[in-house]
Amino acid sequence: MKNGIGVIDLSWWQLGLALVLVLVVVVVSLRQRLGLERDLLIGAVRTVAQLYLVGLVLAAIFSAARWYWVLLILVVMAAIASHAAISRLKKPIPGGIGITATALTLSTAVTLAYVIGVVVQPRPWWEPQYLIPIAGMILGNSMTSAALAGDRLQSDLLARQGEIEARLSLGFSGREAVQPLVRAALQASMIPTVNGMMTVGLVQLPGMMTGQILAGASPLTAIRYQIVVVFMLAVATSLGSLVFVRLAVGRYLTSAHQLRRYLL
Amino acid sequence: MSPHDAPSGENIFSVENLALVYPARKGQSSATILADVSLEVERGSALTIVGPSGSGKSSLLRCLNRLEEPTSGVVRFHGRSITELDPRMLRRRAAFVLQTPVLFEGTVRDNLTLAAPGFELDASERRLEEMLRAVGLETTLLAREAAMLSGGEKQRVTIARALLRDPEVLLLDEPTSALDPPNAMLVVETICNLRKSHGLTIIAVTHAPDLVRRLGGALLYLVKGRVQAYEATYTGGGGEHLQAFLAGTHP
Repeated sequence: MKNGIGVIDLSWWQLGLALVLVLVVVVVSLRQRLGLERDLLIGAVRTVAQLYLVGLVLAAIFSAARWYWVLLILVVMAAIASHAAISRLKKPIPGGIGITATALTLSTAVTLAYVIGVVVQPRPWWEPQYLIPIAGMILGNSMTSAALAGDRLQSDLLARQGEIEARLSLGFSGREAVQPLVRAALQASMIPTVNGMMTVGLVQLPGMMTGQILAGASPLTAIRYQIVVVFMLAVATSLGSLVFVRLAVGRYLTSAHQLRRYLL
Repeated sequence: MSPHDAPSGENIFSVENLALVYPARKGQSSATILADVSLEVERGSALTIVGPSGSGKSSLLRCLNRLEEPTSGVVRFHGRSITELDPRMLRRRAAFVLQTPVLFEGTVRDNLTLAAPGFELDASERRLEEMLRAVGLETTLLAREAAMLSGGEKQRVTIARALLRDPEVLLLDEPTSALDPPNAMLVVETICNLRKSHGLTIIAVTHAPDLVRRLGGALLYLVKGRVQAYEATYTGGGGEHLQAFLAGTHP
């Protein structure tokens, strides 16, 4: 029942009709001189091309039904997410790609192992229908929270270096001196997740639940999955940003309890 | 080791051929901050470091308590290279007072008693009051929110906080530059009194001729990271450049 019940298969013709929506925006942009037409068209083409490519790859992996193909796609997803997380930072963190890769891999592996192995229990465990979308959600959210944490950490290190060096001068260790900044960065990265838990379903139906309902699943099945997803993402984002911040802040400290000011 | 009046003849700090070079980074060439700086500071004595902005004064001070790592050269504390010491211990014995006073959220008492986890600090009421009096502040200030203090009071609280750790040396980075003249004078007075009353060694970076004159001791004139002039006992000499600098007429 992979297609659910009563899913309307969209034809090329119908996709073309959807493109009309983009053309409306292009007209608005032209008339209001927003200068966004080019980006809009490129964006539309990329949307079609990227999603089509992903669709082809996923279809191939689903039909190949081999665990190593599934694992390979997860590795590729993790690599892209790791790169994206630090590319948003204002200033590079030395060895930043290694740090995000470690943080995202760890948070994804732990969360995925629990959700797949203990909660959902698909047979076989690597069933791509479950593993790939769930891993995608975990990676995407961990990526965003790591980026938020990194951004906050960097701006705080710069703004509060006097405070850090005051603590160091009082005989605090490097880790102790930056502890309040670590806390602030973690809070900043976790607040969107916590806020999301407060309004989930009230303002907007979460993407996965929407998808399942569109695919014909009962809303009661869909909400169960969504509940698992919300809890799963809470763990994944906090674990991801925790590992990320702890590793990243270490780059700004030396073993002699000094702040590497030239990195700020 | 002499238990008597300072200076003792024993070096508390000695610096040999210190150099600090910031490596080249994206868009910036490498920068020499300090070059071939050597100096000695006897226990109980005073040293003021003067020089134009950007001459490396603060960096030199920061090398002494190892907030900054020199590129080459040796800093010795009581004859031992500071790289052999735990930086946390060094920093408690050579207390650093920053140019802009940093006080944390909470009361003056919270700020004075702030200590690293696991670090024993004698913060008895008697001692807290003693330290506040030593820097010329009312003991009633203990319960006051630190954020409510004036600039001069804040700076003296940071000095009291340093004193509470029973340091041997005070490293002062332009302690009066962020203060208005009356407050600056109070802080200068406080520092000079502490040198006498607590037998503290004082190493101060300053722009304030007042502090140079009142503190006495040795004078180091730093220009572009190099020692331009050094006087073991400041007598008002030091060549025309130094004179001009202290008179405020230096370009």
